[in-house]
Amino acid sequence: MSTMTKPASRTVLVIDDEPQIRRFLRAGFELEDFTVRETGNAAEGIRLATLKPPDLVILDLGLPDMDGADVVECLRAWSNVPIIVLSVRSEEDEKVRLLELGADDYVVKPFGMAELLARARAALRRNVRAPSGEPVVNVGPLSVDLAARIVSLDGNRLPLTPKEYRLLQVLTLNAGKVVTHQHLLKEVWGSGHVHNTQYLRILIRKLRQKIEPDPTQPRILATELGVGYRLSQAGLDAEAQVPAA
Amino acid sequence: MRVHLVGWPSGLTVRPADPYPALAALLLVALVTGILLLLNPLVGFKHISIVYLIPVMIAATRWGTVPAVIAAIAGFGCADFFFYPPLYTFVVYDPQQILDLVLFVIVALVTGYLANNLRRQAEVARRHEGDMRDLHAFSRRLAQCESAADIYAAIEDHLSRTVRRRVVLIGAASGGGAAGPPGAAVPDLVRREAGDIAAGRNPRRFTVTGGSSGNLWLVRPVSARTPELGTIAIDLGGESRAAADDITGHVDAVLADAAETLDRLDVATAIHDAKLRAETNVLRDALIGSVSHELRTPLASILGAASVIAGAPAVTQDPRLASLAELVRDEAEHLDSDIQNLLDATRITAQGVQPKREWADPTDIVNVAVERRRRRLADHRIEMALSADLPLLHVDPVLLEQALGQILGNAAKYSPPGSTIWVKAYRGVDRVVMSVQDQGAGLTADEHGRLGERSFRGRRHAFTIAGSGLGMWIAQAFVGANGGTIDTSSEGEGRGTTVAFSFPISDAGELQDVDDD
Repeated sequence: MSTMTKPASRTVLVIDDEPQIRRFLRAGFELEDFTVRETGNAAEGIRLATLKPPDLVILDLGLPDMDGADVVECLRAWSNVPIIVLSVRSEEDEKVRLLELGADDYVVKPFGMAELLARARAALRRNVRAPSGEPVVNVGPLSVDLAARIVSLDGNRLPLTPKEYRLLQVLTLNAGKVVTHQHLLKEVWGSGHVHNTQYLRILIRKLRQKIEPDPTQPRILATELGVGYRLSQAGLDAEAQVPAA
Repeated sequence: MRVHLVGWPSGLTVRPADPYPALAALLLVALVTGILLLLNPLVGFKHISIVYLIPVMIAATRWGTVPAVIAAIAGFGCADFFFYPPLYTFVVYDPQQILDLVLFVIVALVTGYLANNLRRQAEVARRHEGDMRDLHAFSRRLAQCESAADIYAAIEDHLSRTVRRRVVLIGAASGGGAAGPPGAAVPDLVRREAGDIAAGRNPRRFTVTGGSSGNLWLVRPVSARTPELGTIAIDLGGESRAAADDITGHVDAVLADAAETLDRLDVATAIHDAKLRAETNVLRDALIGSVSHELRTPLASILGAASVIAGAPAVTQDPRLASLAELVRDEAEHLDSDIQNLLDATRITAQGVQPKREWADPTDIVNVAVERRRRRLADHRIEMALSADLPLLHVDPVLLEQALGQILGNAAKYSPPGSTIWVKAYRGVDRVVMSVQDQGAGLTADEHGRLGERSFRGRRHAFTIAGSGLGMWIAQAFVGANGGTIDTSSEGEGRGTTVAFSFPISDAGELQDVDDD
């Protein structure tokens, strides 16, 4: 795997009050050459993150000493380190809230290590790319040139309407990350339309008809039910890496 | 029914504020005197004084003792002055006439007293009749009461009308709801007394508030047998103890009636049951919480650890170990989804389903459901056929994805590996249909009929295929809560099963063009 060749090992900070969970997370990340630091409470987690900023934070939502949202806010006050939240099912509203507060992604318990690693890689890649301002983003056969505002599929230029392009642009800027319905509605239609989910559904379908090989089974523009959409680098990467499993 | 009696008067009822009856009595005497002066020369009465009994009796029956005595004295005076010689003096010589006058006074007083009593009794009877009429009306109203709230309202109405005092219901148990006016200021002392009564202590005769000024409050349990039904408090103000006793009798009679009706309606049992239910719910929630935490946390660790082992180089290089690691992971996943089903089922039973509806694309729901179960469906061929032009549905997509997931799980479980599962979403006549069709065990007629029952499992599979039998039931609850229906069909045993969700299409769900500039 490509991670083996990288000289500098990246640091992941695991904040979870369950020691068993921390144990397998440590093993899983260390097998992938991450340096792992861990703690069971939020206060210590924030302290560790301040002391020596990690490359990635894995944050459990059920911490005894602090609300997960507060931890995200606290970290976001001074750092844009990728944060992946571990949540439980049926808490879509909570997920949306955390994403809006600045969490990068969430994984629902119980989860497999491969899933978390895919999300972690996507978050790290995004973080590396962002400052350099790389203008062209490739997602499978899709290529989005953010500088020239050109979208092409398998090298053929796609004609997008302004709203379709705006939608794709917002998703591309956050490639691999879940973007909430509210955020997309605000970015594309303005803050007066954050509840018009219908608009979004219709535009998403139109965009998929242009960018997806099979629009009824999308692989590029993935749905996160009740939360939002994601330009799915992780999904396509995972498919490319299947031989490993 | 208890009837309350007003006691025999223990003394003269003195009404000093009212001079008119006395004046009227004097007027009557004057009238009689006038008539006698006119008629006496013509008729020549022998026992003038007897005629003066008329105003005395009228005064006694009409106005009571004092006017009667006044009439008697005035009559005595007038008879002496105008009719007994020497005329126009208050002097009498004839012993016969003296006896006459003395007798008159005695007869007048006794008659007056008796007439007055008669009057009072008539008054009591009249008031009594009114009370009885009120109580009857109250009973009739109680008989029509269908809930504790009705009864509380009836008690409050009736008492405030008949007692003409502020009536407040305190702590009418949750089943009732008709507590007193929320803003009504009830002294703490009264509230405390009400609390004590509700806790089972016998009520005090009165509760006195406001220090020396001594406002009287009457606090009584609505039902003496079941104090938790609530307490009634009546502000008697500065009423005298005797009058307060009077009101107490009345109130107790009313409450006795009301308590009987409350018993008839079994309100006490209902309230007791409600309390028990609340306690059960708390217990169940605690249990759900602890089960979900105590079982799912270790499972999450097992699952995570298994996935790490499955990905470790040492294991991936050995197919036997790799398959074992897969096994651990799969079984842990099964166990987790079974626990999730139990939790869902308990929650549905306890609180019903509370869908968070939004406009959702049915193809999204189907795709996510299939995607999430890729691993479980890995042994089957999945054929997807999703229409590209489906209208949007106003549903909770998360719940429907879970419902569809249950059906997909069943399809994988009850059809042989390598067989095909068709997943479709299409537009029917005014409905959107999502269906899952397998080539599996199918359904017998009996199984088909009982499929939706909670925890139903076909006898054929009970010992061969693991499961809790909750999946279909949960799916039905979720789909139903979103306004959809589930249809299950099978050609018969061994010939596959088709499960179809259908949802009505609303005009708002049809795709209009988003205005795209």
